[in-house]
Amino acid sequence: MITGTLIWYYYICPREVWLMSRQLTPWEENPFIELGRLISQESYERDTKEVQIENIVIDIVKTQDEEVIIGEVKKSSRFIKSATMQLAFYLLKLKEYGINAKGILLFPKEKRRIPLSLTKEMEEKLNLAIDRINQIIKSETPPPATKNRFCAKCGYREFCWA
Amino acid sequence: MKRTLYIFSDGEIKRKGNTIYFESSEGKKYVPIENTQEILIFGEVSLNKRLLEFLNENEIVVHFFNYYGFYIGSFYPREHLNSGYMILKQAEHYLDTTKRLRLAKKFVWGAVKNIIKVLEYYIARGKPLHEIVERIANLEPSISIANSVENLMAIEGNIRDHYYDSFNIIIENENFTFEGRTRKPPKNMINALISFSNSLVYVVCLSEIYHTHLDPRIGFLHSTNMRRFTLNLDVAEIFKPIIGDRLIFSVINKGIIKPSHFEEKLNGIVLNEKGKQLFVQEFDERLKTTIKHRKLGRHVSYRELIRLELYKLQKHLIGEEEYTPFVAWW
Ligand code: SF4
Repeated sequence: MITGTLIWYYYICPREVWLMSRQLTPWEENPFIELGRLISQESYERDTKEVQIENIVIDIVKTQDEEVIIGEVKKSSRFIKSATMQLAFYLLKLKEYGINAKGILLFPKEKRRIPLSLTKEMEEKLNLAIDRINQIIKSETPPPATKNRFCAKCGYREFCWA
Repeated sequence: MKRTLYIFSDGEIKRKGNTIYFESSEGKKYVPIENTQEILIFGEVSLNKRLLEFLNENEIVVHFFNYYGFYIGSFYPREHLNSGYMILKQAEHYLDTTKRLRLAKKFVWGAVKNIIKVLEYYIARGKPLHEIVERIANLEPSISIANSVENLMAIEGNIRDHYYDSFNIIIENENFTFEGRTRKPPKNMINALISFSNSLVYVVCLSEIYHTHLDPRIGFLHSTNMRRFTLNLDVAEIFKPIIGDRLIFSVINKGIIKPSHFEEKLNGIVLNEKGKQLFVQEFDERLKTTIKHRKLGRHVSYRELIRLELYKLQKHLIGEEEYTPFVAWW
């Protein structure tokens, strides 16, 4: 089953999707991941409500003038593409449940908020991504490592380039 | 930077807040847990379950050595990196005799290549080792035609015997003459050093395995019996010559380790406390020494090289890339 996290990884590096699907988690010596968790816990305490629907977990839900807004908190806009598509994926999931929601990407450290609504184009992109993720997971071996701008800080870098 | 904690004195080790606290007749010591990578215990140390829980939570491996410096065993915390997939792949490569032999050969081949590197280094410094290198090189092709792991082990033993013939030529110190390998107990000083050095390489490999998805109980060259760690013995084959043996030559030739650092025990010869301390200190330095890694394009320490080797092995197991052992180029 496709999760928001897999969408997130897919847009960083498809190879990560395969590795994560085999529970080949990277060994994180630095508290990078922990930090991300902390930021999302502390920054928006007032309206934070983690909501779980099926296999997706949504960071923030609030209703404003009859409108449902879901927020996704990220520690930096470095992975903005991934964050956007992950949030779009949640919007798509909600739509399947008959909820037309709007999204908002939150970068508390950068004091930035980016509103997001699901477009037709995004839906198409997501569906393609979902197909591709399913293919990657089914494949016997991981997609080859290709140097990209995320490698430098990636937990897999030693594994990929050893 | 995380460090290895070595304990030589007798005393008590406990948890105190977020530190590892060690108390001995020589004093008290606090080491923050986040600075600790692993612990090697040589002294007579008492500890409790609370400490083990603390080490378990913080994913710290502890290795124990007895009074003579022989490895006893390790406290290997609960696995923190779990992948059923990797374990299955590892088991598959163990159970399939063709796959297993293929990997086992790689370890022997890597060991031999590194042995030759060590010898060539001393040839460049004027030691008459050509003949030994030639004898080893002649045996090398038999690795690829070995038809069983037992056969392979025998070839390896043979190569190692030739290699040990070089020790007297390299060391040239009558205090440290080598008359064949003796293990339990070592019969002379050079054997005592080899045994000690090898066990240090084994435990470092084990510590590194802990930080991967590999299961240390499934070795390929060294037979698995499901109780003992064996994968670290396989990986150590590659690093023993370039880390351990080179260090032995250097500590003797530089006069760091002297005959006064040994004592007679158990009908054999072992390093005394001072000797163990000195050797461990040099060993630790060596592990931190960095070299420029060609593929990664940055400097990596010998310890990291071991980790990278394990990653390469993982890539082999998942069918991504054929494993080629690390061979020193200096
Ligand atoms: S190191 Fe680079 S190629 Fe490897 S998983 Fe990370 S991002 Fe992908």
